[in-house]
Amino acid sequence: MSTQSVKERVVVVGAGMAGSRFAAELLLNNPDRWHVTLIGEEKEVGYNRIMLSSLLAKEVARDELSLIDVDHFRSHQGEVIAHDAVQYIDANEKHVHLSSGISLPFDKLVIATGSRSSQLNIYGNDASNIIGFRDMEDVSVMESLSQGSQAVVIGGGLLGLEAAVGLVKRGHKVTVLHRSSYLLNRQLDEESAALLLERLQAMGVEFRLSVSPESFNSLSVSANEVDSTDKAHSISLSSGEVIAADLFVVATGITPEINIAKEAGLSVNRAILVNEFLETSHKDIFAIGECTEFSCNTFGLVEPIWGQMKSLLAYFENRFEPFSIEPVPTKLKVSGVHLFSVGKIQSENNEGVIQYIDRSLNHYRKLIVKEGKLVGAILYGNVADGSWYFQLIQNQTNVSGMLDRLIFGESYCIEKVA
Amino acid sequence: MQPKTGKTTCPYCGVGCGVLLTNSFTNSGKISPVSGDVEHPANFGRLCVKGSNLSDTLTSDGRLSVPKLHGNTVTWSIAIDAISEKIKQVIDEHGPDSFAFYLSGQILTEDYYVANKFAKGFIGTANVDTNSRLCMASAVVGYKRAFGSDTVPCNYEDLETCDLLIMVGSNAAWTHPVLYQRIVAAKEQRPNMKVVVIDPRRTATCDIADLHLAITPGTDAFIFSMLLVESEQNGVLDKSFIESNTDGFLNALMSAQKASPSIEATANILGVAKEDLGTLVDWWLATKKTVSFYSQGVNQSSSGVDKCNAIINCHLATGRIGHEGMGPFSITGQPNAMGGREVGGLANQLAAHMDFATPGAIDLVQRFWNAPKMATENGLKAVDMFQAMEQGKIKVIWIMSTNPMVSLPDTAQVKRALEKCEMVIVSDCQEFTDTSLMADVLLPATGWSEKDGTVTNSERRISRQRGILPPYAESKHDWWAISKVAQKMGFESSFSYSHPYEIFNEHAALSEFENHGKRDFDIGLLKDLTEESYNGLLPIQWPVTASSPNGTQRMFVDGRFFTPNQKAKFIPIEPKLPEASATEKYPFVLNTGRVRDQWHTMTRTGKSSKLANHTEEPYVDLHPKDADKLSIKDKELVRIMSKVGEIVVPAKVEAQSVSVREGEVFVPIHWTNQIANNAIVSSLVPQIVDPLSGQPESKHAIVNVTPIKSVLYGTILSAEPIDTTDFLYSCQITQDKGFRYEVAFNENLNIHHYRKTTVATFDIKQQGYWSDYKNTINGDQRFVYLVDGSPMAMFYVSTRPLNFDSSWLGSLLSNLNKTEAIVPIKLEEEDRIALSVGYKANTLDKGKIICSCFHVGEKQIQLALESGINNVTDLGTSLKCGTNCGSCIPELKQIIELSSEAVV
Repeated sequence: MSTQSVKERVVVVGAGMAGSRFAAELLLNNPDRWHVTLIGEEKEVGYNRIMLSSLLAKEVARDELSLIDVDHFRSHQGEVIAHDAVQYIDANEKHVHLSSGISLPFDKLVIATGSRSSQLNIYGNDASNIIGFRDMEDVSVMESLSQGSQAVVIGGGLLGLEAAVGLVKRGHKVTVLHRSSYLLNRQLDEESAALLLERLQAMGVEFRLSVSPESFNSLSVSANEVDSTDKAHSISLSSGEVIAADLFVVATGITPEINIAKEAGLSVNRAILVNEFLETSHKDIFAIGECTEFSCNTFGLVEPIWGQMKSLLAYFENRFEPFSIEPVPTKLKVSGVHLFSVGKIQSENNEGVIQYIDRSLNHYRKLIVKEGKLVGAILYGNVADGSWYFQLIQNQTNVSGMLDRLIFGESYCIEKVA
Repeated sequence: MQPKTGKTTCPYCGVGCGVLLTNSFTNSGKISPVSGDVEHPANFGRLCVKGSNLSDTLTSDGRLSVPKLHGNTVTWSIAIDAISEKIKQVIDEHGPDSFAFYLSGQILTEDYYVANKFAKGFIGTANVDTNSRLCMASAVVGYKRAFGSDTVPCNYEDLETCDLLIMVGSNAAWTHPVLYQRIVAAKEQRPNMKVVVIDPRRTATCDIADLHLAITPGTDAFIFSMLLVESEQNGVLDKSFIESNTDGFLNALMSAQKASPSIEATANILGVAKEDLGTLVDWWLATKKTVSFYSQGVNQSSSGVDKCNAIINCHLATGRIGHEGMGPFSITGQPNAMGGREVGGLANQLAAHMDFATPGAIDLVQRFWNAPKMATENGLKAVDMFQAMEQGKIKVIWIMSTNPMVSLPDTAQVKRALEKCEMVIVSDCQEFTDTSLMADVLLPATGWSEKDGTVTNSERRISRQRGILPPYAESKHDWWAISKVAQKMGFESSFSYSHPYEIFNEHAALSEFENHGKRDFDIGLLKDLTEESYNGLLPIQWPVTASSPNGTQRMFVDGRFFTPNQKAKFIPIEPKLPEASATEKYPFVLNTGRVRDQWHTMTRTGKSSKLANHTEEPYVDLHPKDADKLSIKDKELVRIMSKVGEIVVPAKVEAQSVSVREGEVFVPIHWTNQIANNAIVSSLVPQIVDPLSGQPESKHAIVNVTPIKSVLYGTILSAEPIDTTDFLYSCQITQDKGFRYEVAFNENLNIHHYRKTTVATFDIKQQGYWSDYKNTINGDQRFVYLVDGSPMAMFYVSTRPLNFDSSWLGSLLSNLNKTEAIVPIKLEEEDRIALSVGYKANTLDKGKIICSCFHVGEKQIQLALESGINNVTDLGTSLKCGTNCGSCIPELKQIIELSSEAVV
């Protein structure tokens, strides 16, 4: 080890999926060039957040969630600071200041602060038994519920449904509240959502559709003991119904975490504005993940974020692989439920629709075709052809020669060998 | 019972092939397949595709099991009482001519004989006509005018030994396949043998033609007038034969010269190239051994008799008759049209080749029968009979083994007539036919394999049909039913038959009775058969007399005919065109005919799934240019209208193998209301008949053709039979399992409502599930109804005519209504989507089935051709196609030809 002269100092703020994996790959690709510091506010660093649903559903163990090998990272002089939040960024001086008082200089800063569960802006939303479904801590709360508890999940999107199924599997009674008239209304159409609803109901989840929450109800201070004052005991709905529960899980969406970026003077809109090389408005400060906004898009699924990460890794190595947005398929991580959705879910006038439903198996397929090209696909029940449809969309393959077979899947559309 | 194999005769066309039938069963409970009788001189073991699949038709499906009176099941004795009382009543009140028989070339000679005797000798009416009126009445009159007798001069060997074969108005490749195969084999052995086909259509028969003259419909007689003229001009007349064996040559020649003064003038009338016509003339002049082979294209005409005589004139003038390899040869369409002619089972015949006008004949027959009430003059021919019925003159009709609601021209008239008739008696094997639905009394008849008696084929050969299987349920032989009615009416002693040999002996005795060589039909040597010798009777060609105890191969060998002076008569012919010619309102000329694998009104062939393969649906064959003008594409639905009716069928437009001329269309005759909606071609044909023979001009009607747009096309497969009467078009296609329907409908039919109400009628208790497929881009919709993982019904709907092989889907159906327990097929979950595709992924689509025997499809054949095969023999080695019945060989050749053209 000779002149270990001047490694560039890279600080990554946020040890979620984007930050931790970026940090690890940057360092391990070229340990001689970079000095990488990964900062996380959670106790756990670099776990696969997507698998929280599986963890809740007891399908995996906690140690199976790790996304990066922290020991391996450290062995290459990677620095990990966990359970310590960044207080502020001094962009001009190129320093970050942490809650613990630590101040770190950087040559390059990567903000990967992710997002938080959106808050419900209704009365009583500060009760202690209202949680999101976002991190290990949330899972811990749910795990600690006593058997046979009542839970209400607010939001029938991907995360809400995964939370609901996980809670049901843990033996709790769960009611899902959903504002739209059908579930996953951003990923599914009514037909497929109806099949999903039926399936989840069969698993024991109860639903209230086309409702919104109006207030959380706590026992009044005057009439009760001090110890329970900060807990909500029920939720009132727009329908007039009041549902009692021990725990409320809010899964109505996510809000990008942009406070420190904003304070540092970076340009933000709904999230931190980045260009195709993930540069923010400030030189040497980059952002990736759910905290970013690129060409009017924010992000909630992992695929584009890996795309951002690759572009940024390349950029750090002086290669140019500009990031671009591509359709991303949706999957619901509930075992026994197979669901795939990519691209458009509702057709417009000039678009053709091909639909197939088998009610004996609860299989459903819908394809949307525009000008000879596939632009949307929803599969429910059997998703084996999902990746093929995804490929057709990505490659903008002309499918006009196989419109009569397209819905039946790849095996009917490849050249037939007589 | 010990399985026994019996020799019998095929019940389809007039070739009369020998068939071996065994009363044993296959594992699936069907009668074992039949085989050809190598000892039978008609076929020497060959069978066509229809014959090969005879055992498929021997099922109890749809069989009429018991007599029915006004829809109620009754005993035979009640039915016979009702019939005999009604006949007595109407003949008492309205005279004998208020009764009529309408018989069939499908019944046996013995049945025919008893019916004829009962009507003409005991009721006293000659209202005995038959569907043979529709197929060869003109040929009969033609022969009788020329020879003084209804005598077919030739035999099948003449077809093999001739040097020139002129086939006029015959698609023998499809209608008489075994005969055609014999011709093909002969031509292969003697390539110098020439075959000329004269037919407006390019049919499969043209496959072996050295010359095809696609003439303007109905102009046939001009050709033979021309040949007579040319024979005279070129010195090929047989002057001594004309002189000593014929009368009337000069008049005939003068008429011919007037009609067809030159080849050029004739070519103009025919609409063919004069060079082609010249070729025919050259060959005719040069070839003594010429057979003119003619069939319905000649007979079904308003001047059919004249056409026959125009042909016969040519043979008489050149002496080309009575010797090997020559003669005017009428080929009959039905298995026993000839037998019917022999007993006199036509309204203008008396009995045994005697007419009412034959001097002394009425007295002779009266004495022979000891008949109390002889008919004394001609009765009503088929069309006249149904017209008289509509006028209320015929009060009781007994229809046997035929389906006039489908086969007689002007179906609407036939319906009106039957509605008007006080008692319609129908003897049939099937319970539901278009005609049986009109019946007041339904009598269950024994069918082929059960019936016992004789038939006569086109070369005068009498063969036994034998009762090898027991009669189905309460079905009875037709002669038995007639005899019972006759007995009930008081004629016990004259109708006391207990076995068909007794009837045959009486028939044979009548043929000989006071004959002394005056009448051609004489089988007197067979009048004393024992039951045993009758049962063992070998095929034999009449006359069978002391001087020709082994039968008679060829007639008129001695140049003597059955006219009073024993000379043949030339008939002067003024060729006439068909009665109707195209108009602005009805711009198309309609031609009709058979398809290869169906027979008549499909009451038997319709039971075989194999026979359904070749031509699944009715169609109208259109010339591509006409189709283009009307914006009609292949398989699209069209409406055809005439003055008397309309039908709705898919179009057949084959740009690569055009078979009809511009301005002409062709529709096959087979599809009935039991199988299809609105597809009976006879409903378009007016009741125009030949004034001499009474044979309808069924091959010529004027029609218009209009496309039916904005319809949806569908294929429905179902485990149970379903009601498709609400569809604009529907055709049921026989399947091994379940039921298939090709349909078309417009917005008047809500397919979603229809499919749901349809499956609600199924006898299934479990809950079923639908799978739906809809494609807004191409308009496809498919609905599959599954119960416990098994498909029960599948509805495929498209904006375009469907064209896919549904055999795999069909194989998955269970037969809910059949007695055999078929285990429903459960599909793997991953294969269930295939139910909405029509095939499993990565399986071979055979394409349209060409070879019915081995189920070989067009796409398979194309692949074989691409792999380098270029002839029928090698195709047969590789795929087996064409190696059984050979009926598909013309089509195989055509495919080879087209594919080699494509390569060039």
